[in-house]
Amino acid sequence: MVRYLMWRLLDAVPTILLVLTLVFVCMRILPGDPALAALGDNALPDQLAAFREKMGLNVPLWQQYLNFLGGVLTLDFGRSLMNNTSVLQLLVYNLPYTIELTIAAMVMGVVAGIPLGVLAATHRNRMADSGVRVFSLIGYAIPDFYLGALLLITFSLNLGWFPINGGGDGFVDRLHHIVLPALTLAFVKAAFLGRLTRTSLLEVFGKDYVRTARAKGASERRVIYRHGLRNALLPLSTGMGLSLLATLSGSVAIELVFNRPGIGKLLIGAITERDYAVIQGGVIVFALFVVLVNLLMDLVYIVVDPRIRVT
Amino acid sequence: MGFSRRNVLQLGVATAALAGFGGARAQDASQNADVIRMGIAAKGPRYSDPNLTTQGSDNWATEQIYEQLVRPEDGTFAIKPEEYLPTLATSWTSSPDAKTWTFQLRQGVQFHKGFGEMTSEDVVYSFKRAMTSGTNTTVLSNIADVVANGPYEVTITLKSPDALFLGTSVFNNNTSIVSKKAAEQMGEAFGTDAVGTGPYELTKFDTQVGTVMKRHDGYWGPKAKISTVECVYIADTSARTLALLSGNIDIMEAVRAPGWVASMQQRDPTLKIDMTVPGSFNTLHINLTRKPFDDLRVRQALMHAIDRPAVAQALAPMGGTMAGLQPDFFPAGFKTEDLPEELRYPYDPDKAKALLAEAGFPDGISFPSLCSQREDYSSTMLIVQEQIRLAGFNMDLRIGDHTAYHADNRSDKNTLAMHSSSYPPIPTQLYFQQLSKQSEVKSDGKGGGNYSHYGVVMPGIDDLLAQALQATDFETYDEICRKIELQVLRDLPLIGLSTLSFTTARRGNVDLGYPIKSGYARWRFHRATKTTV
Repeated sequence: MVRYLMWRLLDAVPTILLVLTLVFVCMRILPGDPALAALGDNALPDQLAAFREKMGLNVPLWQQYLNFLGGVLTLDFGRSLMNNTSVLQLLVYNLPYTIELTIAAMVMGVVAGIPLGVLAATHRNRMADSGVRVFSLIGYAIPDFYLGALLLITFSLNLGWFPINGGGDGFVDRLHHIVLPALTLAFVKAAFLGRLTRTSLLEVFGKDYVRTARAKGASERRVIYRHGLRNALLPLSTGMGLSLLATLSGSVAIELVFNRPGIGKLLIGAITERDYAVIQGGVIVFALFVVLVNLLMDLVYIVVDPRIRVT
Repeated sequence: MGFSRRNVLQLGVATAALAGFGGARAQDASQNADVIRMGIAAKGPRYSDPNLTTQGSDNWATEQIYEQLVRPEDGTFAIKPEEYLPTLATSWTSSPDAKTWTFQLRQGVQFHKGFGEMTSEDVVYSFKRAMTSGTNTTVLSNIADVVANGPYEVTITLKSPDALFLGTSVFNNNTSIVSKKAAEQMGEAFGTDAVGTGPYELTKFDTQVGTVMKRHDGYWGPKAKISTVECVYIADTSARTLALLSGNIDIMEAVRAPGWVASMQQRDPTLKIDMTVPGSFNTLHINLTRKPFDDLRVRQALMHAIDRPAVAQALAPMGGTMAGLQPDFFPAGFKTEDLPEELRYPYDPDKAKALLAEAGFPDGISFPSLCSQREDYSSTMLIVQEQIRLAGFNMDLRIGDHTAYHADNRSDKNTLAMHSSSYPPIPTQLYFQQLSKQSEVKSDGKGGGNYSHYGVVMPGIDDLLAQALQATDFETYDEICRKIELQVLRDLPLIGLSTLSFTTARRGNVDLGYPIKSGYARWRFHRATKTTV
């Protein structure tokens, strides 16, 4: 197992390197001048030149690239072009907010989505099933930033139940701040997982071993959870992995709507300002997250389905 | 299978409890009369050192923390030199040639955080660091030397006369007076740990959230009435708007788009709107190197095709008109009726068509033009696009990212380049940045903001500009600048489209203590009061 993990991590190195290279190249190809973004529209030519010199933007691209890669290897992601803050410091500040949002949304989505899927599958073509399908359809159709704004207007602005922006200070305050953003992301997630659970369970319910279990007189609860849901877990774990990644990308819009600190908000701001060092640092975090989630999914497969063997 | 009623009840109670424990905090700004929270339209503060700030929004904090030797009355611009008020200087004199300025300093002014009394040593230090290492060394390059004559007097000598020296260099963010001792002691950390003399002192600087300031109890003037000022950075306009409407913040930087003010007042009629006039100067550069805009008749046609009062009206109440390049109450500013008739360019699509036909384009012309997606740019240019279409100008407007737009302008890639920038009542600053030969745009991006190439492909205003910069009194300066205005209206390399006020929306329970009429996009809160709601 350890060897397998090591191989999978080594596999990820070229992927991350490719992502870093692509981001480095794309940011330099894109029109836009970080010096102009930092100093403002009225900056004079000599001020811009001095800024480029100071921030190392005048050195050849290949040298910038090597400096960047060397920095990543030593965990030195450079400094923000806008305010000279260490990028690592920015990442360390923002990452916990994104992680807690992702986890909270995932937990809420799973807790709501899987029972809804089970409910729909066990009440096929009845009112409950129709209700879950409508809910799933709405969940798919409604953009998360729009839903976020709706929740914000209803529960924060009109009812005043939740804070309108920010990430909060201290455990309780942070918990209070995370409810609406997590609920927004969880809504889409619950719709997706509910639908997936329903489909997977219905497929499993048609299998011979389920019929046999029922013929043997197993209780309906045992049939659903022991024989049904357990065997539906493989596609569900794939779905949860994908959903986790979608949560991360969805957090970008949500962090903006709720004005929460986080890697997504940090990245969007950095892209607007062409703050190369921050963009590169943020993308590394996202890339690592994708690699780790994929690795986690592979491990879950092994646990869920013993037939899958490491080759 | 499914949730039991008990489960649902438990979930409901849990949600209500979670909402309840922070419910009061969700409205905290409006419930605390001793805190004023400002919602800033940016992602986070960059610096609190006025000599380093390049993000305009950061000046909301520096405005509270720092002061200069002189200032205008709160909420205004000083149009003439005599309108400046004693601040850290109690009096001043200038030589007849406007090259030597002597300031008597106020005694007993205390810096924040126990850094002692302000003396001439701090003033000399503040000016010299601004002249050598600040973000605005060009404007200050006219200063030859700054010397202390004892602890409470400073003399500044200039290389060339500057009749408007108080406006160009003294009431200037870069020359805010900092504590020499603090700046030297803190080194690089001074960039985010300010020590000034203003009514508030910085207590927290967080690049991800914002800044917090508390009342400076050793302030030399009347103490601030509200004890704490918080600048909360909320870049997203919807989030910022909701924060204001919910009472989470007291004041917000507005969205400068058509209809915004009306929609806000509809949502909450108690909101107060504060606006500076003129605010930003929205100008339109005509690239004289691109045919057929090298033909004066085409430029005149364009001028007649743009209904400038309608552009300003569309941005109402934030929009204002300019007959030339300056608002009428600024130095060199004209009212339309005071201009020679041939330079008034009233909106007249038929005349525009006739001029185009005369220039050889009876069927009109088509051309591409770039525009920023930022709301003030895109809304203005979309209006202009529709107006000029009626006269035969088919402008293919390509709207894109704001940063990329400015980089493209700076690389000479645009035909009609809109520019939005704020200026104090010192017209030569606009002329220098947008019209002088020295600021000509270059295709390698290393040029300046003269996107029309005026003064290079055709004679410009450089000689007049040089004369204005040598004027030793305000009246002469004003007279030469008025000549520049007329020449620009004759040559039409640059069109003054409209002004656009800097605007904030304020909750009705906050009283600033003075009206906002004019000035930079920032104002002080030391006279503000607030009642709880």
